[in-house]
Amino acid sequence: MRGRGPTPLTIRSFPSAVIHIDADAFFASCEQSRNSELQGRPVITGKERNIVASMSYEAKARGVVRAMRLSEVRRLCPDAVFLPSDYETYGLLSKRLFSIVRRYTPDVEEYGIDECFADITGMQRPLRMNYRRIAAAIKQELDDAFGFTFSVGLAPNKTIAKIASKWKKPSGLTVIPGRDIHEFIRDMPVEKVWGIGPQTTAYLNKQGIRMALDFARRDEAWVKSHLSQPFYETWRELNGEAVMALVTEEKETYASIQKVKTFTPPSSDPEFVFAQLCKNVENATMKARRYKLAAGRAVCFLKTQDFHGTGAEVRFSRSTAFPHEVIKALEPVFERLFKPSQLYRSTGVVLFKLSDDVIIQPDLFGVTARIERLARVYEAVDGVRVKYGKHTLFLGSSYPAHKFGQHLGERGDVPDRKEELFNGETARKRLAIPMFMGDVK
Amino acid sequence: MNKTPRHFDKILSFYRANRRMPSHAEIAQAAGLRSKGSTYKLVNRLVELGFVERDGRGKLLPGRRFHSVPLIGTVEAGWPSPAEEELIDTVSLEEFLIRRPDKTYMLKVQGDSMVDAGIMPGDMVLVERGVKEKDGDIIIAEVDNEWTMKYYRKRGGKVWLEAANRKYKPIYPENELRIAAIVRAVIRKY
Repeated sequence: MRGRGPTPLTIRSFPSAVIHIDADAFFASCEQSRNSELQGRPVITGKERNIVASMSYEAKARGVVRAMRLSEVRRLCPDAVFLPSDYETYGLLSKRLFSIVRRYTPDVEEYGIDECFADITGMQRPLRMNYRRIAAAIKQELDDAFGFTFSVGLAPNKTIAKIASKWKKPSGLTVIPGRDIHEFIRDMPVEKVWGIGPQTTAYLNKQGIRMALDFARRDEAWVKSHLSQPFYETWRELNGEAVMALVTEEKETYASIQKVKTFTPPSSDPEFVFAQLCKNVENATMKARRYKLAAGRAVCFLKTQDFHGTGAEVRFSRSTAFPHEVIKALEPVFERLFKPSQLYRSTGVVLFKLSDDVIIQPDLFGVTARIERLARVYEAVDGVRVKYGKHTLFLGSSYPAHKFGQHLGERGDVPDRKEELFNGETARKRLAIPMFMGDVK
Repeated sequence: MNKTPRHFDKILSFYRANRRMPSHAEIAQAAGLRSKGSTYKLVNRLVELGFVERDGRGKLLPGRRFHSVPLIGTVEAGWPSPAEEELIDTVSLEEFLIRRPDKTYMLKVQGDSMVDAGIMPGDMVLVERGVKEKDGDIIIAEVDNEWTMKYYRKRGGKVWLEAANRKYKPIYPENELRIAAIVRAVIRKY
């Protein structure tokens, strides 16, 4: 076993060059940068879920953490501003992030709504900049385009790039060449390494490995015989090799499609709760049709006010992406699950066993013709929705869920953007350009 | 002969939209003709003039003069101009108004401080982040925790913000002026 001395793990600096880019407090920053009244104040998003989804650095400094209940935030930080999430705007800005980074290299992996990897190996000559300058230029352009900061890490591979982008936050630009890796991971607990979870950490600790560098210094043979393939890859990346390729394709297919919605106040009205479930089914099947997928099975579940859940699975006689068929199969299940003495707060549906939505076998009894007809009906339904908005056309069984907003009372606050409309915009169709908020004097 | 025959523009737009020639029935529909006979007569005339041709099975093909008629503007064609090539050099309204889509935001105008620049309350303004401001630009700046839209003025080392309305006095920033974006376009929909 090699010692923990100052010997580098590798002598090559950048056999390949990977950047990890991470927005600083993305949702809260989106809100602050478009509304001057929010700048410098503790801002929290996630009001509609009653828990913290994202908090600004001002709120972080006061001890607010993710997933904290809003009542507790109020105690810690009475002057905090709570905002409902405006996913439309966050989504628009997220796309811009990727599109700006793609100007520097086509190899971009969209890793999350607010983070991505970019492989810039070999881009020095075409861009006439060294790797550090490229990373700095991307950061500068993002900071300028968004009006808030990003943290950027440059390293020989994804695992180290992740460590680099976290090294200094907010607004960091950290470069870790291969020959310096050992300096950065010497005092880093092994569980901080991307991909090493609590189970593996416990196991490694038992083997006397506490710091990431201890792990990196272990023999290859030991790692291979004691750990599974993904951890061997992590070990190689900690030693400066680039093993994990970037996943640059856009997500085109799904293993399962899930739609869950909470509503307030909780309800014990079977018709209303069933309507909530139907709405989820409609949204899930709509997404399935968009990706040309059909589901072989579905799970539906109900959650009560005290967070207890019940659920059951149904199988379809043939794969489907039509909501009325799914609902018909779920109806008896719902009747079995639903207890009128309970107050329910959310419903959900998961479609799985997804396959490409093609009519597989023609049959004797004219079912194929009926499916083709239904496919045409839903093509028209989807067409209407594209033209006039997602919920212009829905099944009668979902109606009670459409009658009111998802949340009554304070949690029902909608993002300001949904109410601040221009002449010609509707509540369902808005321009795809992020909007500055607050009064412009 | 420079005059384009009646209804030929409909065939041309059909061709551009579908990348194929219309059938007789489709011509009848586009031209609003009820009888097959009059459609046939119309097509015959176009064949005679060289705008369309018939193939061996009676289907239509573009004729030698087919592409010499500009679709837009008047139906009078002066010079035979290849209209499709001209259209390559056009931009959409979006491209015209937005130079850098990744850096463009919009906002709704409140207040009357820029009315003399033609920017009215309720107008939509397209602004661009990350541009260096220069004297005479209309900018969005943060003053006392509020957005303000004003002319940016710079003479010598001196910087101030100026309204386009005599009711408002110029603002001389005491600290660093934080400029968020520069106004690129104003849109008003009636």
